[in-house]
Amino acid sequence: MASRDEVMAALAKVAGPDGKTPLPDSGAVSGLTVRDGKVFLAIVVNPAEAKAMEPMRARAEAAIKAVPGVTGAVVTLTAEAARAVSGAAPGPGHAHGGGQAQRGGRAAQPIPGVKHIIAVASGKGGVGKSTVACNLAVGLAKLGLKIGVLDADLFGPSMPKLFGLSAKPDVAPDSQKLVPLEAYGVKVMSIGFLIDEGAPVVWRGPMVMSALTQLLREVAWGDLDVLVVDMPPGTGDTQLTLAQNVPLSGAVIVSTPQDLALIDARRGIAMFKQVQVPLLGIVENMSYFLCPHCGGRTEVFSHAGAQREAEKLGVPFLGEVPLDIAIRVNSDEGRPVVAYLADSAHAGAFLEIARRVAETLETGAPGAKPAPRIRFL
Amino acid sequence: MAWPTDIVVKDQGRTLEIAFDDGVTVSLTSERLRVESPSAEVQGHAPSQKRKVLGKENVRIVDIEPIGNYAIRIVFDDGHNTGLYAWDYLRKLAS
Repeated sequence: MASRDEVMAALAKVAGPDGKTPLPDSGAVSGLTVRDGKVFLAIVVNPAEAKAMEPMRARAEAAIKAVPGVTGAVVTLTAEAARAVSGAAPGPGHAHGGGQAQRGGRAAQPIPGVKHIIAVASGKGGVGKSTVACNLAVGLAKLGLKIGVLDADLFGPSMPKLFGLSAKPDVAPDSQKLVPLEAYGVKVMSIGFLIDEGAPVVWRGPMVMSALTQLLREVAWGDLDVLVVDMPPGTGDTQLTLAQNVPLSGAVIVSTPQDLALIDARRGIAMFKQVQVPLLGIVENMSYFLCPHCGGRTEVFSHAGAQREAEKLGVPFLGEVPLDIAIRVNSDEGRPVVAYLADSAHAGAFLEIARRVAETLETGAPGAKPAPRIRFL
Repeated sequence: MAWPTDIVVKDQGRTLEIAFDDGVTVSLTSERLRVESPSAEVQGHAPSQKRKVLGKENVRIVDIEPIGNYAIRIVFDDGHNTGLYAWDYLRKLAS
């Protein structure tokens, strides 16, 4: 059976990404697994040079296959640097070199070209997060900002329906990134574009984390003023992954006025505070119901609960949106009311929320502080 | 809460110097950071599970990654990289 050392020795005859340094010394080997004669090797390359690196990949594969006892070899090129420093490298000398190479790794780096990333979250499900996120995005676009929407609710993607989009996204030939779809002046990306409507996503946490990272970074967002991320309910994998992976400019919390929803909204707020994400404010959705027949006002889920909560927590109150059949009907038809019923009171409510969010982003959310500079002397 | 403005790795990775916005600058050795790593690999899941990490006098910091707005991940040359050091934890270690 072939050993790791034998494989590494064979790879010493293959030049690394720079064309001269042998692969094992190049610091580009990010993972090597040898199991029952099968060898899996990952080589880190600059994604821009992926095509030019193909011959190196093939040579490495051939070199491994030539090792006695090897029954199969798979060599892949990856853009991701290894996290473990000494784990993948053969000796302490390489370990240090490997560490140097990955300084300022990709994690938690801003997305190039994207000025602000904001999360729309709730704690509780079913309070209208996605509808608010969609209309907030269209509202921000109407204010003249360049806007994207990332549907981070991988188990229940709503953005395809809300924006009336269903095409499969193209892959940009140069960058190999997914091209977001566009509607109402907003770039949209959702896992819903990639799977059939009605097909379930049945995943454990690590899959969620990697899919979310891809939706953030493997999408050709281009230049955006704001990327609005529609979160799933709760305080779990998606929320933590987002809070760790990118510097968020802030979070918008959506709640209905009833206590049952407010309890979870409070948890959501506490979570964002814990990871130092500033709060842009709270939106009260389904705030009241105006009867289309008699004009009477019914406060189905109580009223002003979210506003009281915002005051109590010292968080800005962004506005209230009524429970209204026009919002529901148009949302189901893929027509955001901000765009489709632009003169309605509902559109006005969403636009006002968008205006406040844009203003807060301009001046900096309360409590927002710049990231520390990290330097190596 | 004090917020860090500058995080500097010095002495070939043996010292981490952190300047906070309240004017306080603290200096932590890589050994201290390694043995007090907030990772579950060191702290366990309860105070009774905390492990003593020995023989790290010469450990060096090889990389630092920002984690969202609230912490840094410190990568040490012994391969340990699972500790996420929040701002208040760094400040607490120094006091």
